[in-house]
Amino acid sequence: MTKIDDFSMELKFTETYRRNLSEHIALREARCLQVQFPATLGTIQEGDRLAGRTQWGWVGFSPHNAPPNCAYGYFCHEQKIIEAVERGNIPLEQRDGVMEMLHFWKKENSKAKVEAAFTPKMLPVLFRDEIVPLPYNFKPMIAQPIYRMAGVFVDYQKLVRLGLPGLRQEVTEYRDKAKASGGDHLLFEGMLLAIQVLADTCTHFQKQAEQQARACPDPQRVGQLNQLAEVLGWNAARKPETFYEALQLSWLYTLVSGSLELGRMDVYLGDLYVNDVEQGVITEDEALSLMRSLWKLINQLFRDVDGRIIIGGRGRPNEANADQFALLALETTRTYGKAILPQLTLRFYEGMNPRLMEQALALIGEGHTFPLLYNDDVLVPGVANAYEVSREAAEQYMPLGCGEIVLDHVGFGTPSGSLNVLKALDVTLRDGVDHIMGKRLGLPTGELRDFHTFGDFFAAYKKQLAFFIEILADHEELEYVESGKQAPYLYLSLLYDDCLPRGKAIFSGGIRYLGGSLESFGTVNAADSLTAIKKLVFEDKLISADRLLQALNANFAGFEKERHLMVNCPKYGNDDAYADDIMVELHDFICNTVRDQRKRTNLDWYLNVLINNKQNTILGRWVGATADGRRAGGPMANANTPAGGNDKKGITALINSIVKPSHAIHAGAVQNMRFGYDFFSKDKEKLEATLATYFKKGGAQAMITVINKGDLEKALVEPEKYQDVFVRIGGFSARYVDLPRDVQLEILSRKTY
Amino acid sequence: MSEQGIVTDIQRGSLRDGPGIRTTIFLKGCPLRCLWCHNPEAISPRPQLFFTEDRCVRCGACAWACPKDVHQVRSGSHEIDFGKCDSCALCVDECNSNGLRIVGKAMDVDAIMAEVMADMDFYLNSGGGVTLSGGEPLFQHSFSLEILRRSQQAHIHTCVETSGFVAPAKFEAVLPAVDLLLFDYKATTDEDHRSFTGVSNQQILVNLDAAYQLGKAIILRCPIIPGLNDTTDHFRGIRALDQKYPRLRGIELMPYHDFGNSKRPSIGLAETPLDLRVPGETEPNRWLEALAELGCAKVRIG
Ligand code: SF4
Ligand code: SF4
Repeated sequence: MTKIDDFSMELKFTETYRRNLSEHIALREARCLQVQFPATLGTIQEGDRLAGRTQWGWVGFSPHNAPPNCAYGYFCHEQKIIEAVERGNIPLEQRDGVMEMLHFWKKENSKAKVEAAFTPKMLPVLFRDEIVPLPYNFKPMIAQPIYRMAGVFVDYQKLVRLGLPGLRQEVTEYRDKAKASGGDHLLFEGMLLAIQVLADTCTHFQKQAEQQARACPDPQRVGQLNQLAEVLGWNAARKPETFYEALQLSWLYTLVSGSLELGRMDVYLGDLYVNDVEQGVITEDEALSLMRSLWKLINQLFRDVDGRIIIGGRGRPNEANADQFALLALETTRTYGKAILPQLTLRFYEGMNPRLMEQALALIGEGHTFPLLYNDDVLVPGVANAYEVSREAAEQYMPLGCGEIVLDHVGFGTPSGSLNVLKALDVTLRDGVDHIMGKRLGLPTGELRDFHTFGDFFAAYKKQLAFFIEILADHEELEYVESGKQAPYLYLSLLYDDCLPRGKAIFSGGIRYLGGSLESFGTVNAADSLTAIKKLVFEDKLISADRLLQALNANFAGFEKERHLMVNCPKYGNDDAYADDIMVELHDFICNTVRDQRKRTNLDWYLNVLINNKQNTILGRWVGATADGRRAGGPMANANTPAGGNDKKGITALINSIVKPSHAIHAGAVQNMRFGYDFFSKDKEKLEATLATYFKKGGAQAMITVINKGDLEKALVEPEKYQDVFVRIGGFSARYVDLPRDVQLEILSRKTY
Repeated sequence: MSEQGIVTDIQRGSLRDGPGIRTTIFLKGCPLRCLWCHNPEAISPRPQLFFTEDRCVRCGACAWACPKDVHQVRSGSHEIDFGKCDSCALCVDECNSNGLRIVGKAMDVDAIMAEVMADMDFYLNSGGGVTLSGGEPLFQHSFSLEILRRSQQAHIHTCVETSGFVAPAKFEAVLPAVDLLLFDYKATTDEDHRSFTGVSNQQILVNLDAAYQLGKAIILRCPIIPGLNDTTDHFRGIRALDQKYPRLRGIELMPYHDFGNSKRPSIGLAETPLDLRVPGETEPNRWLEALAELGCAKVRIG
């Protein structure tokens, strides 16, 4: 464990930060980056065709790719450092320094800076300083801040077009202009240093490759390493001219910038790829081997919810070439073997080269969880409306991580808060008080019995939701403001539109659109609960308000009759207007309220996302029994998918229901469809017709898993034999056997078609 | 109000009852008594009580609710006197374990059509439509006819899964409203037919011929039950029909399964006295081979 317990990099990083405390933040960041790289770069491993691994330190700087539980920006992994202190094998001369470093970052890390700036309104609602490892990091809160700058989609096309020298030249020109006009030229100085760090990274790996080549007995591998060294050396000094060079350069930029997304690779690599194949510079097999190497690096570096590679769709300048690359990417996923990453994402529209969709469905049919499917015909106009941008701008939408949408290198929108919609209903029944903690979380809007009509009750619920949404929007804005004060995020500012001409850093007025998103969970259960309350308490009067509350407080023990009535109320997902209308009203309210936050804040957009990761299960643990019949602590339904087993009328009715909530007012909604293998193998045409109808009817997105229930049941009993069973949990694909038991059971309870 | 009928189930997004994606409407009531019946709850034309023993926790709530003294619940047993039940559903509402339900619900054609029309886009994209199944759907003749006519008016492809055991006049009356017939062929000799199903096949064959002569699209569906009709004679009979009716769209062999047996006690029927054998995995292929040897080319497993 010598690497972990040697803190020389961290100490030097900290010292550099402190020494530059009163310097320009761009110079401070650049000098810290110089300490971080190449010190934290990993080694090229056997078989690697591309260079680019890291071993993060426990103190460092990264917008998104900091080690888990480290938040973002300037981070400090207190827990790991304390563990090392306890192990006691930190070099003697470092010990005092390490403790001091720990204390220094307590107030100085980026997350702490945001928390220190909380407004009085935020203080009682958003908890602070509570990061502990998953799955316990979520307390019974309704509004939950999230610390990261996720969804970095830099302008890779520009990077590939200019290369490092071109970028350097452009930044130098801006610096000189700024100097002449009295602008912020030090920002550009910082950028120049950052570009140099990247060039040094190339050289560092070049030397490593050369060294390895000299020591390698296998002539074939020597050839590969020498070729790699050449590519790296080229990139350090020149703009990429081959597919290989461009692929390597873009990957190093991803790595060093701390991004976890790779963006529209078919756009920025398509031309070079096709050219190289046509000119005989590279064979398709060779390209495939490079791509598989990239897939491997991604799987080792990234986390399960990230790693988006986007292919297909509208708004690609050289579509024919991009399509060729897209097919290569699909083939890479097919031949790489089943893996969690990258999240290969196929955007499609009517009229696109049909081979892409054919290949995609073939992959899914083979049991791959990728590609994810995104329907441009619905999403492009939807994004244009939701983000209030032109259609052309909307064509550059990019789904990140779990499915939030941002605009490629012109707009940033990290999801920095989550809203537990179901728990907000929990407290609305009880005058704003959370009965689990016995603590007020929401507004005092009265108890259920105080409402005379369902309309009044729904209105109170909406008031509660709006209260939390406003706090989360304010928090998003605050996060950007504080981040911008502390650092210019040089690698982002370099390749996000408008930062250079404006002479401003990304979060300090540089970027064209600074937006954000709110992750909401539990809307379906909340809608079904509202339906049951409307029907049983207000309309049919079968259960009194007090009795309903008693039943929920008792988790239905002794109230089987009441639960039976609740379970048998209409449920969303069956094409039944009674239930679906309430879902639509709730969905519209949340989306529109979130969307309206741009009027209250300086955000260019703020939008709801209905994504699903494990949070539907994790957040559900802290929600009591609910009026849809869900028991206390049980999982909540995913995104806008019906709660497990509630869609009883078949896939067509399900689809009719799920296309009802509008797609033009949010920043992404995830739709799981898990098809039994039989459906895929024996009824392929019918499956395709089903999907085609879904997309025609306004389906925006589909995450498809091909699996049969029997597989999953057996996997529960004999996990060791089912390591290869992958399931999609909305935003990501996971090894089924690795998931917590309750997540496994929740997946099992979903319907298979 | 439009015509009413008794429906056991409406299955949307159905894949197995004709071409494309379909909505299948299961109608209650059947005049046949096939030994291998897999939908015994569809035989009686009236709604009836259906008990799922697995779910019963023997709480006794149903016994309290029932005015007819149908349920006898004791600690270890739950006896039901189905004969006394008039399907009032009072006990169903009281069972919190979903152990009881009434199979068969009165619906009018308007309500059915509303559900059918909701999936129009799926039919269009997949070449699907509506299928009437049962029981014997034509048993509720005027009800069926109205659903078929209204579907046709809406340009929805219609399909009827029938035993063919219907009065010829009634059968011919529905034919204009049917695009595809899934027509059962259960036994070759009349004697077998009587002993397997309780009725003669003469009228059935007359109806098949009438439909064929009218140029209807027909797929023959042959339930094959090992030990009963997996015989060379019956296969010859199938081949004979194949030759007699060259325009048949297809012949499907439907291997026997025993799902129906477990449902019998749920509706108060005695366990079946016969011990019918479920065919092994490769057995259906042997039937196909046997038929192929006889020259039958368009046969497949349904
Ligand atoms: S009410 Fe339901 S659970 Fe109770 S005894 Fe009757 S069938 Fe069984
Ligand atoms: S349906 Fe009515 S008559 Fe039949 S068992 Fe239930 S309560 Fe008794």
